[in-house]
Amino acid sequence: MEKNHALAGDYMRRFRISLRLARRNKALCLGAGAGLTLLYYIVLLSAPMIKFQQWPNYVTTYDWLENVGRIIASTPSWSDRLVIINDEWLFEIGYMNYDFGIGISQWSLFVAPIKVLEIMIFGALLGVLFLIVRSIGEASCSKRNLWAAKATGGVGAGLVALTSISLSWVVCCATPSWVVGLAMMGLGVSTSLWLEPIGWWLHMAGLGLLLSALYVAAGYLPDIDKT
Amino acid sequence: MTITKLFTAIFMAAALTNTASAETIRIAIGHQSMCTDTYTAGIVVKELGLLEKHLPRSGKYTDADYEISWSDYSSGGPITNQMMANKLNFGVMGDYPLIVNGAKFQETKSLRTKYIAGTGYNLKGSGNAIVVPVDSDIYTIDQLAGKQVSVPVGSAAWGMLLKAMQDEGIPAKDYALKNQSPAVGAANIASSRIDAHADFCPWSELMEFRGTGRKIYDGRETGIPYLHGVVVREDFLDQYPEVAIAFIKAVHEAGQWIKADPVKAVAMMENWTGVEKEVLYIYFSEGGHLTLDPTIKPKWVEALKADHGVLTKEMNMPPLDFEEWVTEDYLKKAYSDLGIDYDAEKNTIVDPGVANAQLPVEIWHSRNGIISYASIDDFLRAIKEFRETGAKLNATYVYDEATGLKLFGKTAFFVKSSDGFKAFLRKPDADTYAMKNKGMVMQLEQAIEGYSS
Repeated sequence: MEKNHALAGDYMRRFRISLRLARRNKALCLGAGAGLTLLYYIVLLSAPMIKFQQWPNYVTTYDWLENVGRIIASTPSWSDRLVIINDEWLFEIGYMNYDFGIGISQWSLFVAPIKVLEIMIFGALLGVLFLIVRSIGEASCSKRNLWAAKATGGVGAGLVALTSISLSWVVCCATPSWVVGLAMMGLGVSTSLWLEPIGWWLHMAGLGLLLSALYVAAGYLPDIDKT
Repeated sequence: MTITKLFTAIFMAAALTNTASAETIRIAIGHQSMCTDTYTAGIVVKELGLLEKHLPRSGKYTDADYEISWSDYSSGGPITNQMMANKLNFGVMGDYPLIVNGAKFQETKSLRTKYIAGTGYNLKGSGNAIVVPVDSDIYTIDQLAGKQVSVPVGSAAWGMLLKAMQDEGIPAKDYALKNQSPAVGAANIASSRIDAHADFCPWSELMEFRGTGRKIYDGRETGIPYLHGVVVREDFLDQYPEVAIAFIKAVHEAGQWIKADPVKAVAMMENWTGVEKEVLYIYFSEGGHLTLDPTIKPKWVEALKADHGVLTKEMNMPPLDFEEWVTEDYLKKAYSDLGIDYDAEKNTIVDPGVANAQLPVEIWHSRNGIISYASIDDFLRAIKEFRETGAKLNATYVYDEATGLKLFGKTAFFVKSSDGFKAFLRKPDADTYAMKNKGMVMQLEQAIEGYSS
C-alpha cells in the first residue's frame, strides 16, 4: 500500500515538473505543436508530389461541423461515432487524371481536424520532451540517459507520424490510409494492406513510447520549484 | 470548452436541425460513372430521374419533400466510407467492394448495411480481363511468367488475376505483381511500360477501342460470376423501406430502358460519363457482356462468399454474416408492385456462350448506325465495300467462337477455312481451330483482304 502511494506520488511529481516546465515555456510548446503539425502536412503533401512529379490540380473542402453533427445523430454507439469522426475530413487536395471519363483522383492528401489536433498535441509533447532533455543536460545527467530518452521519444514520434498518414493513392487505397505511406516507401501493396489493421496498435505504441520517454526523463529532473 | 461539451453542443444542434426538417427525406446515393456495370443503379437512374418517378407520395410520405443527391466515385472504397459517416444512404459497387462494405459495417457495434439488389452480371466473369500492349508478343497467360503484371489491388480484376494465375499454375513468385489504378494501368499499356494489366469493366475494352491494348485473357475463363449491386444503410432502410423499394423499381426500369434501345442508350450514356459509346455498346447491346438483372440468385451469394475468402486471405478482411447482410425482401416487394414474376427472373440465368451463338455480327456505321450481318463473310464484304466508298465506321463487333463473348472486330483473330470465317478472342484458340479445320489465322485487315482474294 505504501509502495503504491509512493509510486503515485512519484508519478504526480514527474507530471507536475513537466507541466511547470511546459508552462514556463508556453511559447516553445505551442510553437512545437503548431510548427511540427505544419511541417508534417507539408511533408505529407510533398511526398506524392515528388514521387509522381505532379502538382495538385484540385482542392475540395467539406462542411466538417455539419458532417460531425450528422454522424453523431445517426450513429448509436459512441465508440463507433468516435472512430468515424476521427476520419472525417475538412479538406482534400490532390491530383486528378482526366484522361478517362470524368476524371480519377490519382492521389490526394486528406486533412481531418481530429487528426490535426492529435498531431498538434503530439508536437507539443515532443516540445516538452525537448525541454526536459535540455534541462537534464543542464543538470549534468548521464549522457546515456539523455540518449535513451531521445531515442525512445524519437521512435514514438516516428510511429505516430507513420500511422497518422492520411494520403490516398488510387493504386493502393481508394480511401486515405496510413499504409499508403508504407506502399509509397516501397513495401508491397498486398503486404501494406495486410498490415493496415495493426495501425491503431502501432499508433498507441508510439504514444506510449513518447509518454514513457517523458516519464523516465522527468524522473532525472530536479524539482523545478527547488531550483 | 471540453471535448464532451463540444460534442454535446454539436449533438443538440444536429438534433434541432433534424426536428426542423422532419418533412424532408434526404436520399444520398454514391455511384461510379467509370464502372459500366453500375450504370443501371447509378448514372441512368440519375439522368432519367427514375427514382423521382417511383418515390412514394402517399401515406406517411404525403407531405414528404425529397432531397436527392448523387455523388460520383472512381471506386467503391470511398462510397463505403461516406456511407459510414451517413453522408450516403445508398452505394452502388462491384462484388469485391460490396463485400468490404458489408464486412466493415458489421465490424462496427451499431451500424449495418443490407445488400438489397443487383444491377447486372456476367455469368462467367467477363468484364474483367488481362490486357497487353497492342504490339506485344504475349498471347497467352502462361507467357506472363517472369513478367510485370499490374492490377488495381482489391478490385474484382485483382481477384480474377489471382484466380487466373492459380488456375494456370503460375505461383506468385514467378511474376511481379504491381498495383496500378485503371488510369495508370491504361497509360502504361499505351506506352508499353508494363507487360500486362488486369482491370475491370470497361477499361479493357477502352484500351482495345483506343488501339493501345489487346486482351489475352477474359474473366470468363475463371468461371466465377462477375456482379454488381446496391447496398443501403440499415437505419435508412428501417425508416424508409418504401424508398428502397422505389430505388429498386428505378433500377429495373433503367435496365428496361437500355434493353429497349441500346444504341440510343449508349449514346446518351457517353454524354453522361465520357466513356465512348462504342465501348459501352459491347456491354449493353444484345449479346453484350452485361446481363441486366437486379435479382439476387443463390449462385451470386456463393460467388460473393468465395470472393470474401480471397479478401480474408489477402487483406485480413473482417468476417461477414451473409445471412444478415443479404435480403431479397425489398426486391420481391418491388417486383410484386410492378407486376413482374420475381422468381421467374431469379431462376433465369443467361450464359453468353449459349445465348450469343446465333446472334448476327455488327458494323457501327457512323451515319447509318448499327447494321447486322448473318455471317462473318457478309460482314467482311460489307467492310470492304464501305471502305471503298470512304464511309466512316465507328466500330465492328463479332463473337468469339469459343465463348460467345462479344469482341471488337479489330482485336479478334479470324480463321478462314472451308466453313467460312470464324472469329476468336485468343490466338491459341484460333490456332487450334485452324489446325483442326485446315484454316488460316489472320487479323481483321488480312481477313478483309482474304475475303476478296
